Amino acid sequence: MTGRWQKRLADAAVPAAILIGFLTGWEAVVALGWVRPIQVPPPSRIVASAGELALDGFPAGTLLGEHVGITFLRILTGYALALALAIPLGLLVGSNRTLDAATAPIVTFCRSVATLSLLPLAVVWFGVGEASKVFLIGYGCFWVMLSNTIAAIKLVDPVLISAARTMDTPPPDIFLKVVLPAALPRMVAGARVALGVGFMVIVGAEMIGTTRGLGALIMEARTFYRSDITVVGMFVIGAIGLALSYGLTRAEAWLLPWQRRMHERRP
Amino acid sequence: MTPRATVFERLAGTLSVIAALALWELASRFVWRDPQILPAPSEALLAAARVLGPWDLAQHVGISLFRILAGFLLAALIGVSLGIVLGWSPLAARCLRPFVEILRPIPPLAWLPLSIIWFGLGEPSKVFVIFLGAFFPIFTSAWRGMTMVSPTLIRAAQTMDVDGARLLWQVAIPATLPDIAAGLRVGFGLAFGILVAAELIAAKSGMGYLIMEARQLGQLGIAIFGIFLIGVVNLVADHQLARAVRATVGRWSNV
Amino acid sequence: MRKPVRLDSPVIEIIDVSKRFQTEAATEVNVLDRINLSIRENEFVVLLGRSGCGKTTLLNVIAGLTPVGDGEVRVNGERVTGPGKGKGMVFQQNALFPWLTAKRNIAFAAVNRGLSRKQADDLAGDLLELVDLAGAGDKYPFELSGGMQQRVAIARALALDPKILLMDEPFGALDELTRNEMQDELLRVWSARRKTLVFVTHSIWEGLMLADRVIVMSPRPGRIVLERRIELPRPRSRTDLMLLATYDEIWAALDRKAVTATPAKKVAS
Repeated sequence: MTGRWQKRLADAAVPAAILIGFLTGWEAVVALGWVRPIQVPPPSRIVASAGELALDGFPAGTLLGEHVGITFLRILTGYALALALAIPLGLLVGSNRTLDAATAPIVTFCRSVATLSLLPLAVVWFGVGEASKVFLIGYGCFWVMLSNTIAAIKLVDPVLISAARTMDTPPPDIFLKVVLPAALPRMVAGARVALGVGFMVIVGAEMIGTTRGLGALIMEARTFYRSDITVVGMFVIGAIGLALSYGLTRAEAWLLPWQRRMHERRP
Repeated sequence: MTPRATVFERLAGTLSVIAALALWELASRFVWRDPQILPAPSEALLAAARVLGPWDLAQHVGISLFRILAGFLLAALIGVSLGIVLGWSPLAARCLRPFVEILRPIPPLAWLPLSIIWFGLGEPSKVFVIFLGAFFPIFTSAWRGMTMVSPTLIRAAQTMDVDGARLLWQVAIPATLPDIAAGLRVGFGLAFGILVAAELIAAKSGMGYLIMEARQLGQLGIAIFGIFLIGVVNLVADHQLARAVRATVGRWSNV
Repeated sequence: MRKPVRLDSPVIEIIDVSKRFQTEAATEVNVLDRINLSIRENEFVVLLGRSGCGKTTLLNVIAGLTPVGDGEVRVNGERVTGPGKGKGMVFQQNALFPWLTAKRNIAFAAVNRGLSRKQADDLAGDLLELVDLAGAGDKYPFELSGGMQQRVAIARALALDPKILLMDEPFGALDELTRNEMQDELLRVWSARRKTLVFVTHSIWEGLMLADRVIVMSPRPGRIVLERRIELPRPRSRTDLMLLATYDEIWAALDRKAVTATPAKKVAS
């Protein structure tokens, strides 16, 4: 197996070298004074700040772990609520052509409303606490999941339903045992998009009126001129996004064991 | 393939919108009766008409559109070019890929504080974040499209002595246009959401700012008006973009 | 009231069946025009014609998937009002449930029939052996080749213990070599589990290789233009002179718009 490892190493070598070169150059450029560290914090500073965040906390002693936890909690709560409502509703609307036609304009419009524009309303209704943030995330995720679920049901291959009918499948079984499994892959794809939306929303929502959470962290850091903390926060947010996406991929693999794995060349 | 909407279905759609609005109006007047909770659509419109002259409105919408167009066009230009380059040259792809993979998971809004540090509180900071929002979907779809150009098309061209730069410009790029078009639409939609967020958080003009200001003044009606305004502008803009795509790329491919 | 089924009474009766469709240009097309056909028990009938001649529509009408316009269809003396009830069907496109393994797909049909889980699984195992896929039971459809998928589809239809089998160009999506193999497979399975079989195809040779009776249809309006019984023993040879003569007849019939159907002639063995 040494051949494979050697190849992997060789493939990783060029990008790794470039990355290292870039980081070194970055550090040097700041050290030489060509760029102010407040504008572009050097990598060394960023790493140090990460440690500071994790151990001492910012601002006012909130640890990095706490920020992460709060953001996570907000996302997951809003997301779970949205899915719990959107999936049954979507299944219902998608199965009924009249309902679908009637609700289509409303769904399309509500989806076009920029979720964060509802922030002021959310604050009026739910105050400045957790509820308003969860509401916003829920709103964003809900409409995306709803429209994707409706589409998933509508796009079920009719030949599968015909086949089931030729086998004397009773109508409730046709829905539960044929339509639902056939729609599942598209629903999971919709859930993935919804998660992305929720993620975007929380970052924005946390930038206003709160000091806890990752979005708040990077905004607060700016007012204190701690751009290094801002950068750490950005990378942590990115990492969380990746973790969520990975979690969803695992869930997808568990839910859909029959899916052909799409081995396309990923850019 | 879903069949085209029947007259009945179009009617059902229109009726339900009217019904929803009517329900809202009635509930607002008779159920909770407090415009501070949720004003009726009529009240929202009146409030907006009272406070916002047409010139003010035009200004706000105009500045929002300017920002999003600036950010979007920049993203389209750079995203498409970069995507094509990385899709065409595996060497370039390998070199730049780590940067892309590291930067991509960061939601564009998370760049806002840094953007303000770099560019101050003026227009550039917002345009930059909008640019980032539109950039990644456009760039990714251009890149992916280039790598997935049908090898059969390439081989066919090569049998006709088309190679090198001609192959790129006359075969690969046209073949990728449908993917690029799809990416442009997605990018625009995302950019819109980011525009609003950026204006809510850090702006002194624009549609998002309008909503924020309205709330601060306790003018919920205007806020509602602003929310709907954004939704409508988004729909209209996306519709126009889709039309443009259908008229160009759509004439010979499925978009 | 059910008519008692006599030994010589036809299993499938198609009586004066017509069907009109509205096209997008808002004109009406006679997809089926007064079709009359009787199919006996365990007969292998092939509906043959070019695309759009109505053969698939006729099959769907027999299956009960498409409502009949005028006229009626009876299976075993009972009017057809809907799909199922012993009318097994194999489709051209892959109609296997992608989320179930091959074995589970087959068992699905059996469970619907009223068998217990265990009985259904056993039956599925038997049928998989019948179609020569004994080891592939635990594979998902996407892991199987086109030919294998269609074999599973046939097994699934058989799991219904159907009165009749309907097949809509089941080998149309396969390459020629696989198609030839599948034709042999089908004949083998059919001789082991004899059923009344109605098979739709646009390939004249496929019809000649398989059928007891070939029904040739022409489009717009969809009518039967030719009927030929083929009483040669199977497997048949493409070099048989009688078969070649029938081939020419059918080719000619497909080429012109015939007005009346010529009476059935026997091809002597």
